Amino acid sequence: MNAKEVQVYINGKTYGASEGEPLIGVARRNGIFIPSLCYEESLEPYGACRMCIVEIKNEGVKKRIVTSCTLHVFDGLSVETDSEEVLKHRKVLLELYLAQAPNSSKLKELALKYGVNRTRFRQKVRDNDPLNNSCVLCGLCVRVCSEVMGARVISFIGRGEKTRVNTPYFEQSELCLGCRACAEVCPTGAIEFRDDGGIRVAASWSNTKVELKKCNVCGKYYAPVKLDKRIDTLYYYRDKDGELRDMCPDCRRKAMTRKMTLIAENEVEKYAK
Amino acid sequence: MPPLFLILRGWLMDRQQIEEIIGKYKHPEGKILSILEDIQEVDRYLSKETLKVVSETLNIPLSKLFSIATFYSFFNLKPVGEHIITVCMGTACHVRGAAGLLNTLENLLKVSENGTTEDGKFFLTTEDKHFSLNTARCFGCCSMAPVVKVDEKIYGYVTVNDLPRILKEYGWKEDENR
Repeated sequence: MNAKEVQVYINGKTYGASEGEPLIGVARRNGIFIPSLCYEESLEPYGACRMCIVEIKNEGVKKRIVTSCTLHVFDGLSVETDSEEVLKHRKVLLELYLAQAPNSSKLKELALKYGVNRTRFRQKVRDNDPLNNSCVLCGLCVRVCSEVMGARVISFIGRGEKTRVNTPYFEQSELCLGCRACAEVCPTGAIEFRDDGGIRVAASWSNTKVELKKCNVCGKYYAPVKLDKRIDTLYYYRDKDGELRDMCPDCRRKAMTRKMTLIAENEVEKYAK
Repeated sequence: MPPLFLILRGWLMDRQQIEEIIGKYKHPEGKILSILEDIQEVDRYLSKETLKVVSETLNIPLSKLFSIATFYSFFNLKPVGEHIITVCMGTACHVRGAAGLLNTLENLLKVSENGTTEDGKFFLTTEDKHFSLNTARCFGCCSMAPVVKVDEKIYGYVTVNDLPRILKEYGWKEDENR
């Protein structure tokens, strides 16, 4: 990474950034709040939700509004994140989102921040919606599942107003890892998982069931069996005798500390002799 | 292409035939649509098993294939009847009473209105698999509105009273109990 260092002006203040990175990243790094639904650092900028709009105010350039996640910074870039124009658009967007996902408490919270507490549009309510009428179809869960986890369990189904996200044929999926990455990135908190004893149930994804692994020491269920291999490889080289296998993170930490202490004590004794 | 009676009995392509179709293409990963079209031409619909075979052969996730198949209204995911009736719901036909035609057809064919399948498409098939009913936006012959298409034949200026006559051409029998 040898990107050129550049200066950008956000709301009149100067910040350093490397050329070409998305503006929303620069802003967030410096504690400037820009709302977004479809931006996730681990994925390519998507520019779908339009919540992160900012106004470019460079001299000699016509004022315009762009999404800050797809705005690659250049030297001398000057933007305003909460100008009157931007706020106006953002409020309408929030109203539209409230109509699309009337049940999401996260979205309501965000809307209240901008003084939007009701929507003028017809609210879209489906009966027995597995996503609890909270999905805004930002596509983060679909992308994280295929691009980051590589499991590719869920996808968009249908088109237009009837689009939704779920497993193919609305059936339990055998591919699901149970990693909960989709629930983690979901900006509206629509995706539900619950752990029933040794089984993790993805209530939103057609009740897909994933087996959980039990900790050898304390008996707590700590991770899906399918992900176990990936966790183990992290410790494989440090743990040739397999002592740290099949342990929950808490027990593993304790065991490691014990191991370290033993090694240290042995070393001390060696030098004492 | 197998004989029609085989298809009506639910005959579907097996793995080898699907692989043959895929083999026709140089870069099959980029030709998913053509492959699915070719399969539907023979099978008349895309069954779950077929999609699974395609997914395994091409190493494309089933979720993606299902996404594609539900996106395009061209693909059928449920077995279709022998004759496909398409009612045009375009603006011109709508103004001249296409909704009434559709309602009447639903009654005549005794297909339920709860109709939109879980993949979000409007596609109704009669119990004896003789007729399938669906809608389209426009056939490009608005001057003949309202328009109904049966298989490849287009009927213009259709009225509700014409429908039984048209259906009879395709072997529909009026129910005495009605």
